[in-house]
Amino acid sequence: MSRDPLILGHVVGDVLDPFARSVSLGVTYKNRLVINGSEFKPSAVVDKPLVQVGGDDLRIFYTLVMVDPDAPNPSDPTLREYLHWLVTDIPATTNASFGREIVCYECPRPASGIHRVVLVLLRQIGRETVFTPEMRHNFSTRRFAMEHYLVPVAATYYNCQREAGTGGRRFIRDDRC
Amino acid sequence: MVSSSSSSRSSPSSNPSVLIPPTMRRTMEEVWNDISLTTPHHERLLIPSDHQSYHHHHPASSPSFKGMILQDFLAGPLNRPRTISPHAVEELPLLPPPLSPTLPRTALSLNSGLEFEYLRPHADSHSNSSSNGQNTCFIPSAISGAIDGPPSPTALFSFCSKNRLPENSAVGADRYRRRMINNRESAARSRARKQAYTNELELEVSRLKEENAKLKKHYEELRSAMVAQQLKSNTLQRSFTARF
Repeated sequence: MSRDPLILGHVVGDVLDPFARSVSLGVTYKNRLVINGSEFKPSAVVDKPLVQVGGDDLRIFYTLVMVDPDAPNPSDPTLREYLHWLVTDIPATTNASFGREIVCYECPRPASGIHRVVLVLLRQIGRETVFTPEMRHNFSTRRFAMEHYLVPVAATYYNCQREAGTGGRRFIRDDRC
Repeated sequence: MVSSSSSSRSSPSSNPSVLIPPTMRRTMEEVWNDISLTTPHHERLLIPSDHQSYHHHHPASSPSFKGMILQDFLAGPLNRPRTISPHAVEELPLLPPPLSPTLPRTALSLNSGLEFEYLRPHADSHSNSSSNGQNTCFIPSAISGAIDGPPSPTALFSFCSKNRLPENSAVGADRYRRRMINNRESAARSRARKQAYTNELELEVSRLKEENAKLKKHYEELRSAMVAQQLKSNTLQRSFTARF
């Protein structure tokens, strides 16, 4: 049994294939650093985070993908994955604001269940090689990476649930929580 | 009728039976009796009250049963006139999900396909993970959903409104079983989540300890270098002389 949190949390498996981490990735929401598996409320992730990219060569460009593989409900993820944010052409050693935001940041608002929100950093082969996907839902990071010749170099994820929390008996109503 | 089945599809939550309008409830019981008859393990007789209500509400051929009569039901699944698509029949023993009764056949084949697909990706994605043991018990429990099980009172309560008669125990058992599967999956995910976070914290702790040790060492080195420097030159000295 591997001890890597990405494997234990099934991020590797649902979203990505096993890869080797080679570049540092730091995601910070309002001065709070994202560590794998930590819990963030929707109110804390309303605005886009500061994403610091490592590496050493400014000529290498990265793409950042933010997806929710548990949309709309982790027990029934029919919209897996839901694309929340896509920034491309980020130079190494800089942050996401230096890149091109081709799918604008949409804050996670899970309706039911506890969702994983995964941020993946992928290395591009060159500049302006990534194109905007058609729609946010039923996105596939694997397929996207294959189509644009991207290689995953770093990933992190956090958990997000409704503001009021999940759990408790649910009664049969039309407005399902 | 089509709209009610499509609306139940668009909200894939655990209780699609809620969207069934009250007028259809009686027929649904009959439909579910019928469906439980099609499963190979079930050759149960209809309760007399169900007989009567069936006759009462389906005097002639109803649109959903297409001219099938009670005797045909009782004849058993093999002799049944083929009003169901073969695909739905295959799916039924595996996953009979509760749905709108007015279009039992087509709606079932659609939704059971949906659920079946849902189970399969889990099978694929979990094949390499530690929840392999969990994975193997999902599918068999779904397949054995046709086997009778005691319906829990809570399951019945949650699926029946107060005005309804108690459901057939087979239907309750199926829903109970589905709930149990979902609960198991949620529990597995919860455990995985907890384990992943714990591991991440442990890794973080060891990383920070290492960094701390390194920094302390560096500090000590710098300090001793500074002390050595100071010992060397304890008196005032000219360090730099200007020309003027």
